[in-house]
Amino acid sequence: MSTAESVVKGIGNNAGAGRSVAAAASATTLRTEFSLALRQLRREFRLSEYLVLIFALILSVAAVTSVGFFANRVERAMAAQAATLLAADAVVSSPAAIGTDVRDKLAELQLTTTELVEFPSVVLNNAGDTALVAVKAAGDAYPLRGELRISDELYGSDRAASAVPAPGEIWIDPRIAGTLGAEVGTPLFLGDLELTVSGFIAFEPDRSGGVFQMAPRVIMSMPDLTASGLLGEGSRARYRMLMAGEGDGVSQFADWIEARDDANLRFQTVEDGSPAVRSALLNARRFLGLAAAVAVLLSGAAVALAARQIAVRDMDTGALMRAFGANARSVIRIVLIRLALLALMAAVLGSLIGFAAQYALAGLLTQFFQTELPPPTLVPLIGGISCAALALAGFCLPVISRAATAPVIRVLRRDLPLAQPSIWVVIGSALVAMLLLLTWLTHDVRLGALLIVGVVAVVGILWLIARALVALAARVRSPALRRALEGLRRRPGSISLQISAFSVGLLALLLLAIVRTDVLDTWQRQVPSDAPNFFMINIQPQDVPAMAEFLEARNIDGEALYPMIRGRLESINEKKVGEDGYRNERMRRMTERDFNLTYQARVNDSNKVIAGEWWPEDTTETLFSVEEEFASETGIELGDTLQFKIADRTVSGKVTSLREVEWESFSPNFFVVGTPAGFADLPASFVTSLRVEGEQGNFVRDVVQQFPSVTVIEIGKMIERVTGILNRAALAVQYVFVFTLLAGLLVLVAAVLATRRERFHEAAILRTLGASRRYLSASMSREFLLIGLLAGVMGSTIASLVAWAVIELVMEFEYHFNPVIWVLGTLLGVIAIWIAGVIASRPVLKQSPLAVIRSQV
Amino acid sequence: MHVIEARDLSKQVTTTEGDLAILQGVDFTLNAGEVVAIVGPSGSGKSTLLALLAGLDSASGGQMDLLGESLHELDEDGRAAVRAGQVGFVFQSFQLLPGLTAIENVMLPLELAGVTDARERAAEQLRKVGLAERQHHLPSQLSGGEQQRVAVARAFVVEPKVLFADEPTGNLDRASGDMIVELMFSMRAERDCALVLVTHDQRLAERCDRVLTMDAGVLHGAAEAVQAGALQ
Repeated sequence: MSTAESVVKGIGNNAGAGRSVAAAASATTLRTEFSLALRQLRREFRLSEYLVLIFALILSVAAVTSVGFFANRVERAMAAQAATLLAADAVVSSPAAIGTDVRDKLAELQLTTTELVEFPSVVLNNAGDTALVAVKAAGDAYPLRGELRISDELYGSDRAASAVPAPGEIWIDPRIAGTLGAEVGTPLFLGDLELTVSGFIAFEPDRSGGVFQMAPRVIMSMPDLTASGLLGEGSRARYRMLMAGEGDGVSQFADWIEARDDANLRFQTVEDGSPAVRSALLNARRFLGLAAAVAVLLSGAAVALAARQIAVRDMDTGALMRAFGANARSVIRIVLIRLALLALMAAVLGSLIGFAAQYALAGLLTQFFQTELPPPTLVPLIGGISCAALALAGFCLPVISRAATAPVIRVLRRDLPLAQPSIWVVIGSALVAMLLLLTWLTHDVRLGALLIVGVVAVVGILWLIARALVALAARVRSPALRRALEGLRRRPGSISLQISAFSVGLLALLLLAIVRTDVLDTWQRQVPSDAPNFFMINIQPQDVPAMAEFLEARNIDGEALYPMIRGRLESINEKKVGEDGYRNERMRRMTERDFNLTYQARVNDSNKVIAGEWWPEDTTETLFSVEEEFASETGIELGDTLQFKIADRTVSGKVTSLREVEWESFSPNFFVVGTPAGFADLPASFVTSLRVEGEQGNFVRDVVQQFPSVTVIEIGKMIERVTGILNRAALAVQYVFVFTLLAGLLVLVAAVLATRRERFHEAAILRTLGASRRYLSASMSREFLLIGLLAGVMGSTIASLVAWAVIELVMEFEYHFNPVIWVLGTLLGVIAIWIAGVIASRPVLKQSPLAVIRSQV
Repeated sequence: MHVIEARDLSKQVTTTEGDLAILQGVDFTLNAGEVVAIVGPSGSGKSTLLALLAGLDSASGGQMDLLGESLHELDEDGRAAVRAGQVGFVFQSFQLLPGLTAIENVMLPLELAGVTDARERAAEQLRKVGLAERQHHLPSQLSGGEQQRVAVARAFVVEPKVLFADEPTGNLDRASGDMIVELMFSMRAERDCALVLVTHDQRLAERCDRVLTMDAGVLHGAAEAVQAGALQ
């Protein structure tokens, strides 16, 4: 049977079915459609608009999956720990030793228990080298759930520990083995004790802080803690009672402890997980997700611009196919198959790039993690595929699906206009896609919606500024720039879009660069050069005179030794705090649990009384001086009566002064200071800050040897560590914003392509009139240099202005304009846009004028 | 037997200045294997008539049968199904898909008609038009004459019952145009398919069985021979 016969027969069979569209379907099968789509795609791939489309999609997927894979690794690390996160079924913890009532209740409920005490301290080796450590003294039954794993040699194979270290022994984090040159058998000094290293900690089930941590861990036995003399009255430590049991013992205990309503006792079950860490991780993921989202949004704009070009081509192709007998649904299916193939390809390539990129991201943030992160699963691939599909569906489909709507008669009359889709459908679908993408990226619908509004507003404002700049530049009279300026005059809207899209990426990158360098530098510079560089905490009352002598002997003019007492604000003017709700969250936090108080006869140098009067040195009354900001937040006023609960006692007195505190002095400072008469007989440990010049290591060693219970903290190292972490975090976000900058460049290329037809014709006419390729190339080069200059100046200037606002108005630091970043930003704009523009317009120069004039392009 | 039968065909479009009649009261018949030229000045409605006869556009009034199917009763997809595998086209501007090679362009109508040995049949057609060596070239790599030969191969590959040609030599130089005309007429004769040809080329019109003149939307003369002065 011939082709014609078979088709005629097919139509004949359907003739009785009312000659509907469906009934009169042609013989095109899905397989044919697939093969046609694949063939078209294979060839069209070389077309610039397809390249922009695929690069934009790949970029979106890479941005999303790099964050996705990274988050997946961190979440897996968390999940691996979650089962044994507490090393128990539940834990009750307190800043003071767990009371007998709690112990009695646990015994009554027949729950298995064991105790932990955690606190910072310093260990020494024989050579006097020191290391700040996080000490954990563990009861015999630790851990009740999960296992503690140790290795017998440094970085050797690990095994489950059958018990905690025996008295006289210590297990250490491998990280301090290097610092102290410790191996199994090495003696280390902790407090009054000499302990022998008998293992290295490979895995600790309940590492506080989860995957985040600051100081390396050491584990010792509970009897050694008592013998070490490390903890005295008022020492800073965390006491934890671990519990496990069958039946409903734990839930009965939970009910009991809730009824007690003691804010100092924190009860946590496995279900609670580690909320602080989870919240930190969620925020980190959100922040990186936001950076990726901006890249996705800009890529979406590039997709939309490229889609318009593709749609015109597809409409003509669709008209021709329908002239040859294809039905509309078949044309649409071919378009959809092609889009699906594109999405798949972008998802695979983008995910591969994202997979590689996340290693760099994890590398930048490696110091946040105590252990090697597990490899990622393939779950983020789903995100990558969804991202590509959503971006195509939202930004591309409404336009491209018009392929079957072009009048078939266009095969004869190409001058017939093409119907454009409703602008509301295009905007609506893009908004829905953006919202879905951003909600998924940030895990927060509200944040997603806010981000859309934010990015649209930022791009809108940048567009307005760009438009004004373009209008200004277009007024310039310069013979050398005549053709470039004509470009600005003719296409102000399109060029303003190019400038604003690129500036978003540049702005974000430069802002982060300023934060990373200038803000952190400024912050470090704020610390006075003679500021204390050491803190000493946990100085026991009996050691105070000896410590004063110790410091005097070394000519160290330290701050006074401040007593530190933990107490809770119970009432103001005899009205219970929190009775009528809290003024704000900070007040709730400050009044729901104990905080540090001190007592002083004289006001110290970094404090200034701004209201009321400081008390006479020999006063016998109980009086208070309150820091002004704390007073304003908690509603405390001069003359109010405050009542504190300290240990088992109640102390109350009048507020006689308000103070302004110079926090950046790095001296010990307190929100509330009392009179010695009111507090002197209460349990306290002492704290001080001091500046040590020269051999700081020797000083730490001497302190720890003479005062084993004292913890010495080097402020310089802490600042270095904090700024290092902030620097890395900013660098990680900046790294993700590189995707945004690339997306901005793609928008630029897409916008150039959108005007390519117009440029083709201009170039063809100019070349017909005798213009050389060199002339055209130079004209276009100058146009893109001009656009780059405008974008670079705009991005750099706005970044500097925002940085000024953040630093001066929000952080209240002194802002120093950084000309290097401004110049680098401008140069980056000029070079990047010039390269992208020249590449995008190269076909214009290559095309023969005859072909253009015959409209064969 | 009539392969095309049009009765009182009309086409109107709405413009800002009101309705504009492009075709009025056109009656037209085409017998199997017959060759008809439609001539007339630019803007007289030739291409619009060709589009209506081929079912590329719908008429505002009248009845239109193509290959025994009443196009005026069919929607766009129904008309496409009538064309599939039975109707060929040769356009002035070639209308090759730029992303497909010569052979893929020729295969397209076969594939749309669900033919399984499309590639072999397309290769054979390209051999017939003398482009066997250029079958894997993209349109941009072919000259205008070669592109139109690909278009002719594509038109005949489905063994059409009717071929519609709209100014097939309009974009070609004389030598290339002559070659295309020879090819088109010889291949048509081989298959004995009907041909509706819209042209400005008098020599081309002279080779047709009948020449009809289109003037201001009205079709004149069912004459058997060329009317003197009908070609401009």
